[in-house]
Amino acid sequence: MPPSVFDLSQVPITAHSFNATRDQLAVSLNSNDAVVYARTGNEWTATETLAEHDKIITSIDWAPNSNRIVTASQDRNAYVWQQAPDALTGALVWKPTLVVLRINRAATHVRWSPKEDKFAVASGARAIAICSFDTENNWWVSKHLKKPIRSTVLSVDWHPNNVLLAAGSADMKARVFSAYIKEVDERPAPTVWGSKLPFNTVCGEYTSPNGGWVHAVGFSPSGDVLAFANHDSSISVVYPGGPIIHHIRISTLPLVTLTWTAEDTIIAAGHDCQPLAFSGNEGGWQLIGTLDDSKSSSAAKSGFNSPVGRLNSSAFNTFRDADTRGQMSPGGTGGSQDTKVLTVHQNTITSVRAYEWQGDRVAKVSTTGVDGNLVIWDSDEVSALTTSAGNGLAGRLGGMHIR
Amino acid sequence: MDTAFRKIDIDIYDEDVLQESELYEPFPQDAAQALDEAKQRQSAVRSALAKGDVPGALSIALENAPYGPNVEDAKVLTLQTILTILNSTKSTEVSSVIKALSQDSQDALMKYLYKGMAMPGWGDISGSVLLGWHEKLTEIAGVGSIVRTMTDRRRV
Repeated sequence: MPPSVFDLSQVPITAHSFNATRDQLAVSLNSNDAVVYARTGNEWTATETLAEHDKIITSIDWAPNSNRIVTASQDRNAYVWQQAPDALTGALVWKPTLVVLRINRAATHVRWSPKEDKFAVASGARAIAICSFDTENNWWVSKHLKKPIRSTVLSVDWHPNNVLLAAGSADMKARVFSAYIKEVDERPAPTVWGSKLPFNTVCGEYTSPNGGWVHAVGFSPSGDVLAFANHDSSISVVYPGGPIIHHIRISTLPLVTLTWTAEDTIIAAGHDCQPLAFSGNEGGWQLIGTLDDSKSSSAAKSGFNSPVGRLNSSAFNTFRDADTRGQMSPGGTGGSQDTKVLTVHQNTITSVRAYEWQGDRVAKVSTTGVDGNLVIWDSDEVSALTTSAGNGLAGRLGGMHIR
Repeated sequence: MDTAFRKIDIDIYDEDVLQESELYEPFPQDAAQALDEAKQRQSAVRSALAKGDVPGALSIALENAPYGPNVEDAKVLTLQTILTILNSTKSTEVSSVIKALSQDSQDALMKYLYKGMAMPGWGDISGSVLLGWHEKLTEIAGVGSIVRTMTDRRRV
Protein backbone atom coordinates (compact mmCIF):
# COMPACT_ATOMS: atom_id res chain seq x y z
CA MET A 1 0.00 0.00 0.00
CA PRO A 2 1.36 3.44 -0.80
CA PRO A 3 1.79 5.72 2.21
CA SER A 4 -1.23 7.83 3.19
CA VAL A 5 -0.39 11.52 3.16
CA PHE A 6 -2.41 14.08 5.10
CA ASP A 7 -1.67 17.72 4.53
CA LEU A 8 -2.44 19.02 8.02
CA SER A 9 -0.96 22.48 7.83
CA GLN A 10 1.25 24.91 6.00
CA VAL A 11 3.47 25.37 9.04
CA PRO A 12 5.84 22.88 10.67
CA ILE A 13 4.44 20.18 12.95
CA THR A 14 6.66 20.03 16.04
CA ALA A 15 5.12 16.95 17.60
CA HIS A 16 2.30 14.50 17.07
CA SER A 17 0.60 11.81 19.10
CA PHE A 18 -2.42 9.60 18.37
CA ASN A 19 -5.02 8.36 20.83
CA ALA A 20 -5.45 4.62 21.41
CA THR A 21 -8.01 4.08 18.64
CA ARG A 22 -6.09 6.24 16.15
CA ASP A 23 -9.18 8.33 15.31
CA GLN A 24 -7.90 11.37 17.14
CA LEU A 25 -4.59 13.13 16.92
CA ALA A 26 -2.91 15.83 18.99
CA VAL A 27 -0.36 18.00 17.20
CA SER A 28 1.49 21.19 17.84
CA LEU A 29 1.78 23.44 14.79
CA ASN A 30 4.94 25.23 15.91
CA SER A 31 2.89 27.41 18.25
CA ASN A 32 1.86 27.79 21.89
CA ASP A 33 -1.24 25.67 21.35
CA ALA A 34 -1.83 21.99 20.86
CA VAL A 35 -4.62 21.09 18.45
CA VAL A 36 -6.73 17.94 18.68
CA TYR A 37 -7.87 16.59 15.30
CA ALA A 38 -10.58 13.99 14.73
CA ARG A 39 -10.65 11.71 11.73
CA THR A 40 -13.75 11.34 9.58
CA GLY A 41 -13.08 9.14 6.58
CA ASN A 42 -9.92 10.46 5.03
CA GLU A 43 -10.16 13.93 6.52
CA TRP A 44 -8.68 15.28 9.71
CA THR A 45 -10.62 18.17 11.23
CA ALA A 46 -9.53 20.29 14.16
CA THR A 47 -11.94 19.81 17.03
CA GLU A 48 -10.32 21.47 20.01
CA THR A 49 -7.41 23.74 20.85
CA LEU A 50 -5.45 23.15 24.03
CA ALA A 51 -4.30 26.66 24.96
CA GLU A 52 -2.43 27.16 28.20
CA HIS A 53 1.28 27.33 27.40
CA ASP A 54 2.76 30.74 26.70
CA LYS A 55 5.70 29.57 24.62
CA ILE A 56 6.09 27.06 21.81
CA ILE A 57 5.10 23.47 22.60
CA THR A 58 8.03 21.12 22.03
CA SER A 59 6.51 17.70 22.62
CA ILE A 60 3.18 15.92 23.07
CA ASP A 61 2.34 12.45 24.30
CA TRP A 62 -1.11 10.88 24.47
CA ALA A 63 -1.45 8.05 27.02
CA PRO A 64 -3.47 5.35 25.24
CA ASN A 65 -5.09 3.67 28.26
CA SER A 66 -5.75 6.52 30.66
CA ASN A 67 -6.61 8.88 27.76
CA ARG A 68 -4.56 11.78 29.09
CA ILE A 69 -2.42 14.15 27.04
CA VAL A 70 0.79 15.64 28.36
CA THR A 71 2.36 18.67 26.68
CA ALA A 72 5.82 20.16 27.28
CA SER A 73 6.86 23.61 26.22
CA GLN A 74 9.63 26.14 26.03
CA ASP A 75 7.83 28.04 28.81
CA ARG A 76 9.42 25.46 31.23
CA ASN A 77 6.05 23.95 32.06
CA ALA A 78 4.20 20.77 31.35
CA TYR A 79 0.43 20.28 31.51
CA VAL A 80 -1.52 17.08 31.86
CA TRP A 81 -4.83 17.35 29.99
CA GLN A 82 -7.85 15.29 30.95
CA GLN A 83 -11.34 15.21 29.52
CA ALA A 84 -13.99 16.50 31.89
CA PRO A 85 -17.57 17.75 31.41
CA ASP A 86 -17.81 21.48 30.92
CA ALA A 87 -19.69 23.23 33.73
CA LEU A 88 -22.06 25.05 31.38
CA THR A 89 -22.68 22.76 28.42
CA GLY A 90 -21.88 19.37 29.90
CA ALA A 91 -19.83 18.51 26.82
CA LEU A 92 -16.46 16.81 27.35
CA VAL A 93 -13.58 19.26 27.10
CA TRP A 94 -9.87 18.95 27.80
CA LYS A 95 -8.86 20.49 31.14
CA PRO A 96 -5.22 21.22 32.01
CA THR A 97 -3.38 20.48 35.25
CA LEU A 98 -0.08 22.23 35.79
CA VAL A 99 2.92 20.05 36.60
CA VAL A 100 5.52 21.51 38.92
CA LEU A 101 8.66 20.77 36.93
CA ARG A 102 11.12 23.07 38.79
CA ILE A 103 13.34 23.53 35.73
CA ASN A 104 14.84 26.85 34.60
CA ARG A 105 15.19 26.07 30.89
CA ALA A 106 12.85 24.88 28.16
CA ALA A 107 11.24 21.46 28.36
CA THR A 108 12.25 19.60 25.21
CA HIS A 109 10.61 16.20 25.18
CA VAL A 110 7.97 14.31 27.13
CA ARG A 111 6.89 10.65 27.27
CA TRP A 112 4.42 8.70 29.43
CA SER A 113 5.80 5.59 31.09
CA PRO A 114 4.31 2.28 29.86
CA LYS A 115 2.02 2.02 32.90
CA GLU A 116 1.06 5.70 32.49
CA ASP A 117 1.58 6.43 36.19
CA LYS A 118 4.71 8.54 35.51
CA PHE A 119 6.09 10.64 32.73
CA ALA A 120 9.56 11.97 31.96
CA VAL A 121 10.24 15.54 30.81
CA ALA A 122 13.61 16.24 29.20
CA SER A 123 14.88 19.79 29.46
CA GLY A 124 17.58 22.29 28.66
CA ALA A 125 18.35 22.56 32.38
CA ARG A 126 20.65 19.49 32.14
CA ALA A 127 17.98 17.53 33.92
CA ILE A 128 15.12 15.14 33.35
CA ALA A 129 12.06 15.63 35.51
CA ILE A 130 10.36 12.36 36.44
CA CYS A 131 6.79 13.26 37.29
CA SER A 132 4.37 11.21 39.31
CA PHE A 133 0.97 11.93 40.81
CA ASP A 134 0.83 12.80 44.49
CA THR A 135 -2.66 11.67 45.52
CA GLU A 136 -2.49 13.33 48.93
CA ASN A 137 -1.96 16.79 47.51
CA ASN A 138 -3.75 16.06 44.25
CA TRP A 139 -1.00 17.33 41.96
CA TRP A 140 1.89 16.14 39.80
CA VAL A 141 5.27 16.30 41.51
CA SER A 142 8.68 15.84 39.92
CA LYS A 143 12.01 14.41 40.88
CA HIS A 144 15.14 15.29 38.90
CA LEU A 145 17.62 13.03 37.18
CA LYS A 146 20.67 15.28 37.04
CA LYS A 147 23.96 13.46 37.23
CA PRO A 148 25.98 13.13 35.08
CA ILE A 149 24.11 15.10 32.39
CA ARG A 150 26.25 17.93 31.03
CA SER A 151 23.98 19.53 28.47
CA THR A 152 20.43 19.79 27.12
CA VAL A 153 18.53 16.52 27.08
CA LEU A 154 16.90 16.14 23.67
CA SER A 155 14.88 12.96 23.99
CA VAL A 156 13.74 10.26 26.40
CA ASP A 157 12.31 6.77 26.03
CA TRP A 158 10.92 4.36 28.65
CA HIS A 159 11.93 0.76 29.14
CA PRO A 160 8.91 -1.61 29.15
CA ASN A 161 9.55 -2.30 32.87
CA ASN A 162 8.34 1.23 33.72
CA VAL A 163 11.54 1.99 35.69
CA LEU A 164 14.46 2.41 33.30
CA LEU A 165 14.67 5.50 31.14
CA ALA A 166 16.95 6.21 28.16
CA ALA A 167 17.97 9.78 27.46
CA GLY A 168 19.82 11.37 24.54
CA SER A 169 21.64 14.59 25.15
CA ALA A 170 23.57 17.40 23.46
CA ASP A 171 26.70 16.40 25.38
CA MET A 172 26.99 13.64 22.74
CA LYS A 173 25.93 10.87 25.06
CA ALA A 174 23.03 8.47 25.35
CA ARG A 175 22.41 7.24 28.89
CA VAL A 176 20.22 4.72 30.63
CA PHE A 177 18.95 5.84 34.03
CA SER A 178 16.86 4.31 36.73
CA ALA A 179 13.75 6.43 37.27
CA TYR A 180 12.51 4.31 40.16
CA ILE A 181 10.00 6.15 42.33
CA LYS A 182 9.40 4.42 45.64
CA GLU A 183 5.80 5.59 46.00
CA VAL A 184 4.78 4.44 42.53
CA ASP A 185 6.89 1.51 41.41
CA GLU A 186 7.20 -2.02 42.61
CA ARG A 187 10.72 -3.35 42.84
CA PRO A 188 11.68 -4.15 39.25
CA ALA A 189 12.97 -7.58 38.25
CA PRO A 190 16.65 -7.58 37.25
CA THR A 191 17.27 -6.77 33.59
CA VAL A 192 20.31 -6.77 31.33
CA TRP A 193 20.80 -3.16 32.42
CA GLY A 194 21.27 -4.00 36.11
CA SER A 195 19.56 -5.44 39.15
CA LYS A 196 19.84 -2.85 41.95
CA LEU A 197 18.16 0.27 40.68
CA PRO A 198 17.73 3.16 43.15
CA PHE A 199 16.71 6.49 41.59
CA ASN A 200 19.34 8.10 39.33
CA THR A 201 21.45 4.95 38.94
CA VAL A 202 23.34 5.32 35.66
CA CYS A 203 23.05 1.90 34.02
CA GLY A 204 24.90 2.82 30.87
CA GLU A 205 26.57 5.72 29.12
CA TYR A 206 27.38 5.59 25.39
CA THR A 207 29.00 8.19 23.15
CA SER A 208 28.15 9.02 19.56
CA PRO A 209 31.00 7.97 17.23
CA ASN A 210 31.89 11.35 15.74
CA GLY A 211 30.76 13.84 18.32
CA GLY A 212 27.18 14.41 17.25
CA TRP A 213 24.35 15.38 19.56
CA VAL A 214 22.15 12.43 20.42
CA HIS A 215 18.81 13.42 18.89
CA ALA A 216 16.73 10.34 19.56
CA VAL A 217 16.81 7.27 21.77
CA GLY A 218 14.72 4.13 21.82
CA PHE A 219 14.55 0.82 23.65
CA SER A 220 13.80 -2.27 21.59
CA PRO A 221 10.39 -3.89 22.27
CA SER A 222 11.98 -6.27 24.81
CA GLY A 223 13.94 -3.42 26.38
CA ASP A 224 17.19 -5.35 26.09
CA VAL A 225 18.69 -3.26 23.29
CA LEU A 226 19.09 0.50 22.99
CA ALA A 227 19.31 2.51 19.76
CA PHE A 228 20.22 6.16 19.39
CA ALA A 229 20.48 8.51 16.41
CA ASN A 230 23.21 11.13 16.33
CA HIS A 231 23.82 14.39 14.54
CA ASP A 232 27.01 12.98 12.98
CA SER A 233 24.83 11.07 10.48
CA SER A 234 25.05 7.86 12.41
CA ILE A 235 22.80 5.53 14.34
CA SER A 236 24.10 3.35 17.15
CA VAL A 237 22.73 0.12 18.58
CA VAL A 238 23.85 -1.03 22.03
CA TYR A 239 23.71 -4.54 23.49
CA PRO A 240 24.60 -3.88 27.15
CA GLY A 241 26.08 -7.27 27.96
CA GLY A 242 29.56 -6.73 26.46
CA PRO A 243 28.74 -3.99 25.82
CA ILE A 244 28.57 -4.52 22.06
CA ILE A 245 27.95 -1.26 20.22
CA HIS A 246 27.28 -1.08 16.50
CA HIS A 247 27.70 2.32 14.87
CA ILE A 248 26.17 2.62 11.41
CA ARG A 249 27.43 5.70 9.61
CA ILE A 250 25.17 6.73 6.77
CA SER A 251 26.07 8.78 3.70
CA THR A 252 23.15 11.18 4.01
CA LEU A 253 22.06 13.96 6.35
CA PRO A 254 21.53 13.21 10.07
CA LEU A 255 18.60 11.27 11.48
CA VAL A 256 16.67 12.97 14.28
CA THR A 257 13.96 10.50 15.24
CA LEU A 258 13.62 6.73 15.43
CA THR A 259 11.27 3.97 16.47
CA TRP A 260 11.72 0.21 16.78
CA THR A 261 9.28 -1.85 14.74
CA ALA A 262 10.49 -5.24 15.95
CA GLU A 263 13.40 -6.67 17.91
CA ASP A 264 15.48 -6.64 14.72
CA THR A 265 14.30 -3.53 12.84
CA ILE A 266 14.38 0.21 13.37
CA ILE A 267 12.76 2.97 11.32
CA ALA A 268 14.60 6.28 11.56
CA ALA A 269 14.12 9.60 9.77
CA GLY A 270 15.45 13.11 9.77
CA HIS A 271 16.94 15.80 7.58
CA ASP A 272 16.96 13.58 4.51
CA CYS A 273 13.12 13.71 4.45
CA GLN A 274 12.59 9.96 4.11
CA PRO A 275 12.19 7.17 6.68
CA LEU A 276 15.06 4.68 6.50
CA ALA A 277 14.88 1.08 7.68
CA PHE A 278 17.73 -0.56 9.60
CA SER A 279 17.94 -4.23 10.38
CA GLY A 280 20.28 -6.45 12.34
CA ASN A 281 21.05 -8.43 15.46
CA GLU A 282 23.82 -8.71 18.01
CA GLY A 283 26.24 -9.68 15.23
CA GLY A 284 25.77 -6.51 13.21
CA TRP A 285 23.37 -3.92 11.86
CA GLN A 286 22.92 -2.31 8.48
CA LEU A 287 20.80 0.11 6.51
CA ILE A 288 18.43 -1.99 4.41
CA GLY A 289 16.39 0.61 2.56
CA THR A 290 13.82 3.35 2.57
CA LEU A 291 10.06 3.37 3.08
CA ASP A 292 9.89 6.20 0.56
CA ASP A 293 9.72 4.44 -2.78
CA SER A 294 9.92 7.70 -4.66
CA LYS A 295 8.64 6.13 -7.87
CA SER A 296 5.20 5.87 -6.34
CA SER A 297 5.02 9.45 -5.18
CA SER A 298 3.62 12.03 -7.50
CA ALA A 299 6.67 14.18 -7.06
CA ALA A 300 8.75 11.54 -8.72
CA LYS A 301 7.40 12.31 -12.14
CA SER A 302 8.90 15.74 -12.25
CA GLY A 303 12.59 15.81 -12.82
CA PHE A 304 13.25 12.49 -11.17
CA ASN A 305 15.87 11.68 -13.74
CA SER A 306 17.47 15.07 -13.71
CA PRO A 307 21.17 14.81 -12.97
CA VAL A 308 20.88 16.89 -9.84
CA GLY A 309 18.01 14.85 -8.45
CA ARG A 310 16.52 16.39 -5.38
CA LEU A 311 18.81 19.36 -5.69
CA ASN A 312 16.74 20.43 -8.67
CA SER A 313 15.19 23.22 -6.68
CA SER A 314 14.82 26.82 -7.61
CA ALA A 315 17.45 27.85 -5.08
CA PHE A 316 19.90 25.40 -6.57
CA ASN A 317 19.10 26.52 -10.11
CA THR A 318 19.53 30.16 -9.21
CA PHE A 319 23.03 29.45 -7.98
CA ARG A 320 23.82 27.21 -10.92
CA ASP A 321 22.66 29.80 -13.45
CA ALA A 322 24.61 32.49 -11.71
CA ASP A 323 27.66 30.27 -11.66
CA THR A 324 27.70 28.71 -15.11
CA ARG A 325 25.83 31.26 -17.23
CA GLY A 326 26.29 34.45 -15.30
CA GLN A 327 22.51 34.87 -15.11
CA MET A 328 21.03 36.58 -12.12
CA SER A 329 17.29 36.38 -11.74
CA PRO A 330 15.32 36.09 -8.55
CA GLY A 331 13.70 32.74 -7.94
CA GLY A 332 15.33 30.64 -10.62
CA THR A 333 14.89 30.72 -14.36
CA GLY A 334 12.82 29.23 -17.15
CA GLY A 335 10.81 26.13 -16.45
CA SER A 336 12.68 25.31 -13.26
CA GLN A 337 10.10 26.76 -10.89
CA ASP A 338 9.39 23.32 -9.48
CA THR A 339 10.30 23.44 -5.82
CA LYS A 340 9.10 19.94 -4.97
CA VAL A 341 11.63 17.58 -3.50
CA LEU A 342 11.49 13.98 -4.64
CA THR A 343 10.35 12.48 -1.38
CA VAL A 344 6.87 12.21 0.11
CA HIS A 345 7.80 14.54 2.95
CA GLN A 346 8.83 17.88 1.56
CA ASN A 347 11.08 18.80 4.48
CA THR A 348 12.80 17.38 7.55
CA ILE A 349 10.91 14.64 9.38
CA THR A 350 10.92 15.51 13.08
CA SER A 351 8.93 12.66 14.56
CA VAL A 352 8.35 9.01 13.72
CA ARG A 353 6.07 6.91 15.94
CA ALA A 354 4.52 3.45 15.96
CA TYR A 355 0.99 3.59 14.50
CA GLU A 356 -0.36 0.06 14.15
CA TRP A 357 0.70 -3.33 15.50
CA GLN A 358 0.33 -6.78 14.00
CA GLY A 359 1.13 -9.25 16.74
CA ASP A 360 4.28 -7.89 18.32
CA ARG A 361 5.52 -6.18 15.15
CA VAL A 362 4.78 -2.59 14.30
CA ALA A 363 3.05 -2.81 10.92
CA LYS A 364 2.63 0.91 10.35
CA VAL A 365 4.47 4.02 11.49
CA SER A 366 3.41 7.66 11.36
CA THR A 367 5.69 10.60 10.62
CA THR A 368 5.31 14.36 10.81
CA GLY A 369 7.72 17.03 9.81
CA VAL A 370 8.59 20.59 9.00
CA ASP A 371 6.47 20.43 5.83
CA GLY A 372 3.25 20.20 7.87
CA ASN A 373 2.37 16.74 6.54
CA LEU A 374 1.33 13.64 8.44
CA VAL A 375 2.23 10.41 6.63
CA ILE A 376 1.34 6.85 7.60
CA TRP A 377 3.72 4.25 6.18
CA ASP A 378 3.65 0.50 5.88
CA SER A 379 6.77 -0.41 7.82
CA ASP A 380 7.41 -3.62 5.89
CA GLU A 381 7.43 -1.98 2.47
CA VAL A 382 11.13 -1.32 2.36
CA SER A 383 12.57 -0.60 -1.04
CA ALA A 384 16.27 -0.78 -1.68
CA LEU A 385 18.14 2.45 -1.97
CA THR A 386 18.95 3.23 -5.58
CA THR A 387 21.68 5.58 -6.57
CA SER A 388 19.43 8.34 -7.79
CA ALA A 389 16.61 8.08 -5.29
CA GLY A 390 18.13 6.65 -2.18
CA ASN A 391 21.79 6.74 -1.32
CA GLY A 392 20.82 10.19 -0.28
CA LEU A 393 22.49 13.26 -1.51
CA ALA A 394 25.63 11.34 -2.29
CA GLY A 395 23.98 9.86 -5.33
CA ARG A 396 22.31 13.09 -6.18
CA LEU A 397 25.48 15.05 -5.91
CA GLY A 398 26.99 12.53 -8.28
CA GLY A 399 25.73 14.39 -11.29
CA MET A 400 26.64 17.79 -9.98
CA HIS A 401 29.99 18.75 -11.35
CA ILE A 402 31.77 21.80 -10.18
CA ARG A 403 33.18 23.33 -13.32
CA MET B 1 19.30 48.96 19.69
CA ASP B 2 22.21 48.32 21.97
CA THR B 3 23.55 44.87 21.25
CA ALA B 4 26.72 45.01 23.34
CA PHE B 5 25.11 42.71 25.89
CA ARG B 6 25.28 39.90 23.36
CA LYS B 7 29.06 39.91 23.63
CA ILE B 8 29.13 39.36 27.38
CA ASP B 9 30.69 36.00 28.18
CA ILE B 10 27.99 34.68 30.48
CA ASP B 11 29.81 31.38 30.90
CA ILE B 12 32.36 32.92 33.28
CA TYR B 13 29.53 33.52 35.77
CA ASP B 14 28.49 29.87 35.61
CA GLU B 15 30.54 27.68 37.91
CA ASP B 16 29.18 24.50 36.35
CA VAL B 17 29.95 25.46 32.76
CA LEU B 18 30.55 22.73 30.18
CA GLN B 19 34.24 22.65 29.32
CA GLU B 20 35.62 21.89 25.86
CA SER B 21 37.67 19.07 27.38
CA GLU B 22 34.51 17.28 28.52
CA LEU B 23 33.24 16.96 24.98
CA TYR B 24 35.72 14.38 23.70
CA GLU B 25 38.35 11.94 24.89
CA PRO B 26 41.78 13.62 24.99
CA PHE B 27 44.34 12.43 22.44
CA PRO B 28 46.13 9.51 24.15
CA GLN B 29 49.71 10.60 23.32
CA ASP B 30 51.73 13.60 24.45
CA ALA B 31 53.24 16.04 21.97
CA ALA B 32 56.64 14.32 21.62
CA GLN B 33 55.18 10.84 21.18
CA ALA B 34 52.68 12.09 18.63
CA LEU B 35 55.40 13.89 16.66
CA ASP B 36 57.57 10.77 16.69
CA GLU B 37 54.72 8.70 15.35
CA ALA B 38 53.90 11.30 12.70
CA LYS B 39 57.54 11.17 11.53
CA GLN B 40 57.45 7.39 11.39
CA ARG B 41 54.26 7.54 9.39
CA GLN B 42 55.83 10.07 7.05
CA SER B 43 58.69 7.73 6.19
CA ALA B 44 56.30 4.78 5.85
CA VAL B 45 54.23 6.89 3.47
CA ARG B 46 57.34 7.76 1.43
CA SER B 47 58.28 4.11 0.97
CA ALA B 48 54.68 3.21 0.05
CA LEU B 49 54.60 6.04 -2.48
CA ALA B 50 57.92 4.88 -3.92
CA LYS B 51 56.25 1.55 -4.62
CA GLY B 52 53.33 3.40 -6.22
CA ASP B 53 50.88 2.23 -3.54
CA VAL B 54 48.80 5.39 -3.15
CA PRO B 55 45.83 3.86 -1.25
CA GLY B 56 48.28 2.19 1.13
CA ALA B 57 50.16 5.43 1.69
CA LEU B 58 46.97 7.34 2.33
CA SER B 59 45.67 4.72 4.78
CA ILE B 60 48.92 4.90 6.74
CA ALA B 61 48.82 8.69 6.85
CA LEU B 62 45.18 8.81 7.97
CA GLU B 63 45.56 6.18 10.67
CA ASN B 64 45.43 7.36 14.29
CA ALA B 65 45.21 11.00 13.20
CA PRO B 66 46.46 13.33 15.96
CA TYR B 67 43.82 15.73 17.29
CA GLY B 68 43.29 18.16 20.13
CA PRO B 69 45.09 21.26 21.33
CA ASN B 70 48.40 19.79 22.53
CA VAL B 71 49.89 18.09 19.48
CA GLU B 72 50.20 21.00 17.02
CA ASP B 73 53.53 19.84 15.53
CA ALA B 74 52.27 16.34 14.80
CA LYS B 75 49.11 17.77 13.27
CA VAL B 76 51.05 20.04 10.91
CA LEU B 77 53.40 17.24 9.86
CA THR B 78 50.50 14.84 9.21
CA LEU B 79 48.71 17.46 7.14
CA GLN B 80 51.88 18.02 5.07
CA THR B 81 52.27 14.28 4.54
CA ILE B 82 48.68 13.97 3.36
CA LEU B 83 48.87 17.01 1.10
CA THR B 84 51.97 15.51 -0.55
CA ILE B 85 50.01 12.36 -1.34
CA LEU B 86 47.01 14.31 -2.63
CA ASN B 87 49.23 16.47 -4.81
CA SER B 88 51.10 13.58 -6.37
CA THR B 89 48.01 11.48 -7.25
CA LYS B 90 46.76 11.62 -10.83
CA SER B 91 43.23 13.02 -11.00
CA THR B 92 42.06 9.94 -12.90
CA GLU B 93 43.09 7.70 -9.99
CA VAL B 94 41.41 9.70 -7.23
CA SER B 95 38.13 7.75 -7.24
CA SER B 96 39.75 4.33 -7.06
CA VAL B 97 42.08 5.48 -4.28
CA ILE B 98 39.15 6.78 -2.21
CA LYS B 99 37.14 3.61 -2.77
CA ALA B 100 40.03 1.56 -1.39
CA LEU B 101 39.93 3.45 1.94
CA SER B 102 37.97 2.33 4.98
CA GLN B 103 35.01 4.45 6.12
CA ASP B 104 37.06 5.78 9.04
CA SER B 105 39.85 6.83 6.71
CA GLN B 106 37.39 8.48 4.33
CA ASP B 107 35.98 10.54 7.21
CA ALA B 108 39.51 11.44 8.32
CA LEU B 109 40.44 12.45 4.77
CA MET B 110 37.42 14.77 4.65
CA LYS B 111 38.71 16.48 7.82
CA TYR B 112 42.11 17.05 6.23
CA LEU B 113 40.56 18.40 3.02
CA TYR B 114 38.70 21.02 5.03
CA LYS B 115 41.78 21.76 7.11
CA GLY B 116 43.75 22.18 3.89
CA MET B 117 41.18 24.58 2.53
CA ALA B 118 41.26 26.55 5.78
CA MET B 119 45.03 27.12 5.57
CA PRO B 120 46.07 30.68 4.84
CA GLY B 121 46.89 30.76 1.13
CA TRP B 122 45.92 27.08 1.11
CA GLY B 123 49.41 26.07 2.15
CA ASP B 124 51.59 24.93 -0.71
CA ILE B 125 48.82 23.15 -2.57
CA SER B 126 46.61 24.37 -5.36
CA GLY B 127 42.93 24.78 -4.61
CA SER B 128 41.81 22.72 -7.58
CA VAL B 129 43.54 19.63 -6.18
CA LEU B 130 41.67 19.86 -2.87
CA LEU B 131 38.38 20.66 -4.59
CA GLY B 132 38.88 17.74 -6.98
CA TRP B 133 39.42 15.35 -4.07
CA HIS B 134 36.49 16.88 -2.20
CA GLU B 135 34.18 16.34 -5.16
CA LYS B 136 35.15 12.69 -5.57
CA LEU B 137 35.08 11.99 -1.85
CA THR B 138 31.60 13.50 -1.50
CA GLU B 139 30.39 11.33 -4.39
CA ILE B 140 31.63 8.20 -2.64
CA ALA B 141 31.26 8.89 1.08
CA GLY B 142 28.21 11.17 0.81
CA VAL B 143 27.30 14.35 2.64
CA GLY B 144 27.22 12.25 5.81
CA SER B 145 31.00 12.44 5.80
CA ILE B 146 30.87 16.25 5.61
CA VAL B 147 28.39 16.28 8.51
CA ARG B 148 30.78 14.13 10.57
CA THR B 149 33.63 16.51 9.80
CA MET B 150 31.55 19.39 11.08
CA THR B 151 30.32 17.69 14.25
CA ASP B 152 33.55 16.00 15.30
CA ARG B 153 35.37 18.02 17.93
CA ARG B 154 38.48 15.91 17.60
CA ARG B 155 39.95 18.52 15.26
CA VAL B 156 42.91 17.32 13.23
